Amino acid sequence: MAEGLFDLVLAGLLLMLAGGALYGRSLYTSILLFVTFGLVLALVWARLGAVDLALAEAAIGAGLTGALLFAALARQGRAPEGEFDLACRRRGLAAAAVLLPVLWLMLSSLAPLAERDSPLPELALAALPHSGVEHPVTAVLLNYRAWDTLLELAVLLLALLGARQLGSGRLDTARPWPQLRAWNAHLAPLLVLVGGFLLWRGSSAPGGAFQAGALLAAGVVSLRLAHLLPPLRWSFWPLRLLVLLGLALFLAVAAAGAWLGQGWLSYPAGWAKPLILAIEVAATLSIAASLSLLVVGERREPAP
Amino acid sequence: MNAALLSLFAPLAGGLLLVLWRPARAGLALGVALVSLLAAAAALHQVADGTRQWLEVGGWAPPLAIRLQLTPLSALLLLFTAGLHLLVAVYAARRPHAIGGADFWPLACLLHAALAALWLSADLFNLYVTLELLGLAAVALVALAGEKAQRPALDYLLLSLAGSLAYLLGVAILYGRYGVLDLFLLGEQATADAPTRLALLLMTLGLMLKGALWPLHLWLPAAHSSAPAAVSALLSALVVKGPLYILWLLWTRLAPTELAVQAGPLLAGAGALALLAGGWAALRTPLLKSLVAYSTVAQLGYALLALGLAMHWQEPRLEAALWLFVVAHGLAKVSMFLAAGELQHTLGGKRVVTLKGASQTLPVTMFTFVTAGVSLIGLPPSGGFLAKWLLLQPLLERPQHWGWALAVVLGTLMSAAYVFRVVAHGFDRARPQPPQVRPDRFGQWLTLLPALLVFGLALIGERMLPWLEGVSR
Repeated sequence: MAEGLFDLVLAGLLLMLAGGALYGRSLYTSILLFVTFGLVLALVWARLGAVDLALAEAAIGAGLTGALLFAALARQGRAPEGEFDLACRRRGLAAAAVLLPVLWLMLSSLAPLAERDSPLPELALAALPHSGVEHPVTAVLLNYRAWDTLLELAVLLLALLGARQLGSGRLDTARPWPQLRAWNAHLAPLLVLVGGFLLWRGSSAPGGAFQAGALLAAGVVSLRLAHLLPPLRWSFWPLRLLVLLGLALFLAVAAAGAWLGQGWLSYPAGWAKPLILAIEVAATLSIAASLSLLVVGERREPAP
Repeated sequence: MNAALLSLFAPLAGGLLLVLWRPARAGLALGVALVSLLAAAAALHQVADGTRQWLEVGGWAPPLAIRLQLTPLSALLLLFTAGLHLLVAVYAARRPHAIGGADFWPLACLLHAALAALWLSADLFNLYVTLELLGLAAVALVALAGEKAQRPALDYLLLSLAGSLAYLLGVAILYGRYGVLDLFLLGEQATADAPTRLALLLMTLGLMLKGALWPLHLWLPAAHSSAPAAVSALLSALVVKGPLYILWLLWTRLAPTELAVQAGPLLAGAGALALLAGGWAALRTPLLKSLVAYSTVAQLGYALLALGLAMHWQEPRLEAALWLFVVAHGLAKVSMFLAAGELQHTLGGKRVVTLKGASQTLPVTMFTFVTAGVSLIGLPPSGGFLAKWLLLQPLLERPQHWGWALAVVLGTLMSAAYVFRVVAHGFDRARPQPPQVRPDRFGQWLTLLPALLVFGLALIGERMLPWLEGVSR
């Protein structure tokens, strides 16, 4: 009973936060509400038993997306407020007119799907002893469907390259607050520690490269905002190497498997665990570098 | 299969190397495209007799993991992609104005890799990831053109994401219903019930949005015409074909036959309207590149018409026509966009009317434009003609199908009208441009090459048509 009530409150809160984020009075409050929305959504995932998703949602959906949105807001000039409201309302009505019938259609035809079972979870668990890791989600991401994950890393790289083309907008950070600087000295090592823990834990329990990378990126962003790090420049080649590291290692393993071993992305027997771990470490570093470049990277390069 | 993997691996690794390594980018990109081209040719040679090769990624059996498939068609598309990339890379290395920025090279390589991964995939979720890659690479390439392209690029990004989400929702529903993601396993199990219908509807809408198929094409003209010339060529010739390929896979491999028969006329109708609407818009637009972009919308109509009717009548000849259209249009459109970029750059105007006298100042480029246009219209002996011939044959066999044939004829007339609109300005000698323009010889002849290749298709047509009919089964 109490749990049901808690779930009901969570669901209601989620909807209210979503509405608030969409119809917030200013972009600033909307972003704040959006971040809160992400955190509540993480709780919802945790209640549904999807702990991996909850971690990812909290780290990426709430934390990093929020930081990206704030960075975008800081880079943008002042938006015309009045027009925004009007356009927003009309758009909301149009969206409701489209989405409500779609929702109705979907609910009526999707309800029977809830009872169906997929054969895949059992297969995934049965193959787990040969996958090199003990956590099924990690096995799916880095062994059974590693090709998807490899391409996802390329998606992240493309997002970074795409954002670079937009150029111009400068991120002017104010002089950092003395307290921020002082706290960062303690926060940064802690974040590295937690990130490393999440990464290591990923092989046997919820956690993994994306979550750990997002945490590390959060540390880099806050160090940069405290002016404890120099500007992150794309023209600095070791940084680019760091961004590429995960994808490059993944690709090298795949190609080596196809050339010397049993096939594309097949890990040789006994090597699955160390290879997966190496790929995960490299991917974590790459994800952290890419995400921090997206949030606080210097867009404009000094003229050559 | 290893040759096909090399054709995919080369641009992916090359793209990474190009991000890291700044000097001599063009040479590296050319090498990558060449390696990929040779590997694709070897892959096509392996499967040319109609065999199909599978690769189980990671060595896991299908329902658990991803399968890649190499069919004659996917090998042909790999070859086509690598060839066009090589050609555009040679042109772009020679004519730096056509690329917008140095980031063109890694982005073009990654675009190539995304397409190669798409042609090889046989897994619904993996196809979604390749679609995302393709969309992001394309948007970043459009944004290379600078500030004026930011708005179209943003629209493209948002609509492309909306399309991806619709597709992903469809994938989720299918997974919920059947519990597997492999395309062919799904094809064996699929029945025509409500969740399957809904999933197919969502996926079709998403793919139509991403592939700019009428009536969801509104982002295409702005995005393709504001991009740098080399990028427009890649986008029109290759990128919109990716979602079309997935659409074809969905409706011919996955969907239950009775659903495909029902949905066929809808898609064919959209295709017929695309022919007319795209042609009309191309006739009306004042801008040259916009005209070429609208012509892409119209030409995709032929492909959609062929797909829809192939589904409705279960007719393999029409599937062969579809792929011949894709290849012929890709080649002709590369020529046309590069020629349009060349004309625009040399003559310094974006509008069609600035072409007055272009036949005197830039004869080769004008000739290229016309040659490519002739294939788009479908005059013999071009590849466009072959495709249209293949499309019309089943339409003319029965009198009740003549309505579709009429749409094709009308579309042909429209495309003739918009091509001749450009030609008429080009040959108008009333106000010739000052003769001091210095065209780049090599670039001009290079743009002509794909247009000539389209005509080359006619030479091998006799052997190619039966082969295509065989492989698209």
